[in-house]
Amino acid sequence: MKIKKKWLVIFLLPATLIFAFVYAVPVAMLVTTSFTDWVVASDPHFNGIDNYIKLFTQDTQFLHATTNTLLWMLLQSTIHILIGVLVALILSRKKFYWKFTRTVYMFPNIISSAAIGMLFVMLLNPSFGIVNKGLEALGFQNLPNWFSNSSTAFFAVTITWLPFAATVTILVMAEMTSLDPAIMEAAKVDGATEFQTNIYIILPLMKNIIGTTTVLGATSMLQKLDILMMTTKGGPGDVTLNLPLYVYNTAFSAKQFGLANSIGVIMIVLGLVAVGLINRIYGIGKKDY
Amino acid sequence: MTNVKKVVTKVLIFLFITTIIIISVGPLLWVLFSSFKTNKEILSGSLGLPAVFSFKNYVDAMKIAPIPQFYGNSIIVAGVATILNVFLLSMAAYVIARFDWKGKNFFRMMFSVGLLIPGAALLLPLYQTMTTMHLHDTLSGLILVYIAFGLPTTIFVMSSYFMGIPKELEESAYLDGCGFFRTFRTIILPIAKPAMGTAAVLEFLLAWNEFQFALTLTSSNTKRTLPIALYYFKSQFASNYGAMFAATILVIIPSIIVYIALQEQVVSGLSAGAVKA
Repeated sequence: MKIKKKWLVIFLLPATLIFAFVYAVPVAMLVTTSFTDWVVASDPHFNGIDNYIKLFTQDTQFLHATTNTLLWMLLQSTIHILIGVLVALILSRKKFYWKFTRTVYMFPNIISSAAIGMLFVMLLNPSFGIVNKGLEALGFQNLPNWFSNSSTAFFAVTITWLPFAATVTILVMAEMTSLDPAIMEAAKVDGATEFQTNIYIILPLMKNIIGTTTVLGATSMLQKLDILMMTTKGGPGDVTLNLPLYVYNTAFSAKQFGLANSIGVIMIVLGLVAVGLINRIYGIGKKDY
Repeated sequence: MTNVKKVVTKVLIFLFITTIIIISVGPLLWVLFSSFKTNKEILSGSLGLPAVFSFKNYVDAMKIAPIPQFYGNSIIVAGVATILNVFLLSMAAYVIARFDWKGKNFFRMMFSVGLLIPGAALLLPLYQTMTTMHLHDTLSGLILVYIAFGLPTTIFVMSSYFMGIPKELEESAYLDGCGFFRTFRTIILPIAKPAMGTAAVLEFLLAWNEFQFALTLTSSNTKRTLPIALYYFKSQFASNYGAMFAATILVIIPSIIVYIALQEQVVSGLSAGAVKA
């Protein structure tokens, strides 16, 4: 259908203005000032790629934050996805518990991350937390203070998000309902066990959606600031420091604006590379029909 | 042999699903029960129900942090952001989905770019943009940012739905002399209610739960939202555990209620949202 210019402009204007204020202008600022020496209370001066060189050659905190972020992205795109897919395969058999399980599994994903952080701070509290109490009851002794012990902090932070893969489960299950039941029937007639059907027939057909959830899982690790602020604040030392928290510290504590924005640019690039890489691995975008 | 295998598989599945359920609900129940306990009961680490159900912790929590104020702010921010997000972005989704015009694909692409930008990268630039526009430390600033964060999802959910509505509907409305905006408001939007519900739930949860921008874009207590209340507790009143539990429950409850009430919308919204990613 055709549309009058007047109405087109009126209908597009609000969305476009919102996009401009919150994405276009800030991203333009981010990229341009990432090539400057801008710090608080001074004017930015162009300094080429000095910030980037400094980050990669001298800044050990940045390098730590990057390795941690990459490691978390890797864990989230493998173990997290595996758990989610496994739950989806089990629940798709539609046994009596499937709906209840799908509903409650989603709880940790729909409540505020700040609350999740708080929840784990209390669960893992060394004096009254249920985890240490439980382990003591089982006979374990000298239990660590999980979040502040440098050998357990990374693990403690990781379990606040790694097992909660309900979005993966929901997406894979939604995709499975679109499968032609005749395929499963045929497999059954040919004598395939349920396990074989899952591995050789269903999973390959789920390739695209698993790829998509992997993209979502990996890129979500470029957003994790809230849980860290609530739990370890990146410590002890830099053990649980990641890029979002390092951006936050550089921008709002150290007030190194130019440098913070270089890290922001690196995060965006990292996200794009991850999306490209995962799409390639899963062959997303290539139509196979 | 096959029977043994079957039993083992069943047991493994049972254990796995039980673990999933326990890690999802267990901590929430523990916090819920603990929120009614005395500090002494909490410190003794008892697992069971509190001896007496007391609301003292909730009263304390309200006293320590300005929780009613934060609650009010959260309701305003999430409510207004949801209404404006769904209404304003439906307009854009409508012209993108149903009309032919030059530059349509450019706009479609542009509106999905937001998905590729990690929010934390924008913390500082948005802080500065908002300060320049005098929107720092205002609820309007937060609302604007949350509308934008939900922009890619809402436009996608709405335009996929609009595409499925038969064109004859509008054509006959125009023939009857119904204007463009009135057709949109009185004919198209009512039909698209299910999609609006989906977009609204996702936007509400986003705005209700958001933490990092609420923390950086506001600075005074009169402008802060609920997730920040927890941060407050954590840093300043760390020894009143009962109040901490109560505050956590106060933050969690609305999200859980909205989710349980509108679960199908969340599920279909997530599925629709993922297709574009």
